[in-house]
Amino acid sequence: MELWLDAAKGPLFRLCFAIMILGLIRIFLLDIWGAYKAYRKAGDKTMPWKLIISRSIEWLFPVKRFGHNRPFYSVISILFHVGLLLVPLFLFAHVQLWRESLGFGWITLPYQWAFWLTLSTIFFALALFIGRLLNKSSSFISRNQDYLWPLILLIPFVTGFVCAHLSVNPQTYQTFMLVHVLSGDIIFVLIPFTKIAHCVLMPLSQVVCTIAWKFPPETDEAVCSTLNKKGAPV
Amino acid sequence: MLKTNQITPEEKQKAFTSIRKKEINEKQKLNVLYHIEDFNVKDRPQRFLEAFAAILKHSNYKMALDHFIRMSAKCSRCATTCQVYQATGDAKDIPCYRSELLLSVYRRHFTMGGLLKGRLSGGGYLTDEKIQEMAESFWNCTACRRCSLECPSGIDHGLITHLGRYILSEIGIAPRALVVSTREQLEGATKNTSAIPVPALKDTLEFLEDDMFEEKSVHIKFPIDVENTDYVFFPAVSDFLMEAETLMGIAAVFTATGDSWTTGTGYFDGINYGLFYSDRMLERVVKKIDAETKRLNGKNVLIGECGHASRSAKYFLPAYCGGKDAFPVINIMEYTYKIWKEGKIKLNPDVVSEKVAYHDPCNIARQRWIINQPREILKSFCNNYVEMTPNGDENICCGGGGGTVSIDEIRPYRTTVGGKLKADQIRKSGCEILVAPCANCKKQLRELVEDQGIDCQVVGLHDLIYKAIIFDDSQIIKKEDEPETLKKEN
Repeated sequence: MELWLDAAKGPLFRLCFAIMILGLIRIFLLDIWGAYKAYRKAGDKTMPWKLIISRSIEWLFPVKRFGHNRPFYSVISILFHVGLLLVPLFLFAHVQLWRESLGFGWITLPYQWAFWLTLSTIFFALALFIGRLLNKSSSFISRNQDYLWPLILLIPFVTGFVCAHLSVNPQTYQTFMLVHVLSGDIIFVLIPFTKIAHCVLMPLSQVVCTIAWKFPPETDEAVCSTLNKKGAPV
Repeated sequence: MLKTNQITPEEKQKAFTSIRKKEINEKQKLNVLYHIEDFNVKDRPQRFLEAFAAILKHSNYKMALDHFIRMSAKCSRCATTCQVYQATGDAKDIPCYRSELLLSVYRRHFTMGGLLKGRLSGGGYLTDEKIQEMAESFWNCTACRRCSLECPSGIDHGLITHLGRYILSEIGIAPRALVVSTREQLEGATKNTSAIPVPALKDTLEFLEDDMFEEKSVHIKFPIDVENTDYVFFPAVSDFLMEAETLMGIAAVFTATGDSWTTGTGYFDGINYGLFYSDRMLERVVKKIDAETKRLNGKNVLIGECGHASRSAKYFLPAYCGGKDAFPVINIMEYTYKIWKEGKIKLNPDVVSEKVAYHDPCNIARQRWIINQPREILKSFCNNYVEMTPNGDENICCGGGGGTVSIDEIRPYRTTVGGKLKADQIRKSGCEILVAPCANCKKQLRELVEDQGIDCQVVGLHDLIYKAIIFDDSQIIKKEDEPETLKKEN
């Protein structure tokens, strides 16, 4: 078991983490490159930066959107994201691991905060899953990954909580820790290839949409030519 | 947040009963609410994909579709903001579902992953049934783009609907009403969507000038084909037939300021249905505006009270006609606001006593272009101004957006489904006069209040300005100064 755990925490973690980072960099750069190419093609190159920035900030920190529609869902979703980001990044045990391997660390969450944030994330992940299941419009448009993601994300939180806050025998601890690390590794690999890619792409949405409406000149002739419609009546 | 109830089964029956003949549906292999000109139905999926490929090759849509398929979270927040979905309660009207119709085709046929998956599974090809669903779904949407404001992922469902309609039009699936009007505008003898010949236009304007003189005792002119003016005017051409008071208000404002403006007889239609169904047509119409402004050596393009005409000129004249060197585009409300702020026009606060509300046209307000200016003007002379909420960039569409207002055969759908939430909002405000500075919104809102039994008059901003404008004494011609000919007529 220890061997497995070492592998999951060591080389497998490094591989999965690298896949995630490289994958996210890849799609981020592809997005930027696509937007840049489109911008170069566009006939109108003016960009309403004020509007783009204000709408991007509105969604990155969606406090303004709380009461707009589905307020209950909005609050749950936001609180879920808060725990999802803060716990893995600032948990003392995680930072300690980084400190050991990188030689430096960063601020950590106080014990009580970590405790409640982990619990709340578990609770909100379940709420999101049940909400998706019960809400007519959500369930109609949901794909498999939409149901699976809250459940997958639950695994490292539940196992981490058991290891950190409950008294269990060493064998159980190691089993839970192995599942905790392996599920984390799997999540890292999946992130760039699934909808969780929004963690890096979301800030680009407003720019992408704005540029998409910036049409290139002379497309009429070009499309006609490709479709052999030159001279065809309207 | 304003919400509406779902329509009753009776209303549903009324809204979705097609007047298309059964044999036409069979012949065109389509069951939709709107009329379509006959088109080639053979190999439709293949031709759809060819058109899709051609458009992707020559446009900027690809990078947006790539972005959308990578991050769509399917949270369904858009559902609660969509007035069509609120009214029908049909999950197929969820904006995200509608977008997925096209995104799934893109994913399957234009991405490496989709092609590989298709090869392995041997399925997922585009079918006639899917085209049927798109043809129905994309025209159930009013293209108001309100859903894009509520999408946490920032997905612009309006853009996807716009693209979907464009691709469909390339294989012949587009509402006949829009295609026929655009054909007349681009290839017809009259060069405008309402088929108004130039002599009829001139007659109309002369008639309006006489009318205005009678009412205001001021020589208010509609200059025609004047070169080197500051503004070349392109209203929604239907205004010449249906919105005389709006035009008179605009002419009155120019008379009060003395600024130079003109309407060109070479081309005088601001309407651009290309925005609703085909980028190729959008480009052609925009170029007509550019050419006419050049012919008259004008300095600015002035668009009348029309949302989509304003948006298509403002955002696409630079795109197709020279970028930053393109003619500046100004909406008439911007002009009137500017000169009102400068004190060049005065408005009588005792003329309009009714309860007045302002409706934001989606194509003007969604991008936060013109929101407060008309409100400030209205509040200055309408003592009983009320606000409808939500408004501004989060406004509720009239229900006839995206060109659907011009499709007469779907009026029951527009006034029962599309405009239901707007009707609730109008009722709630209790307004007696609803100001809608857009030809399309005005037509839809009039039909809406009529069909929904709401006692409310729908007018343009300049209709009220015309009523309230106060001219300088120097401009008013006293009876004794009147030309003899006019005296006799009076």
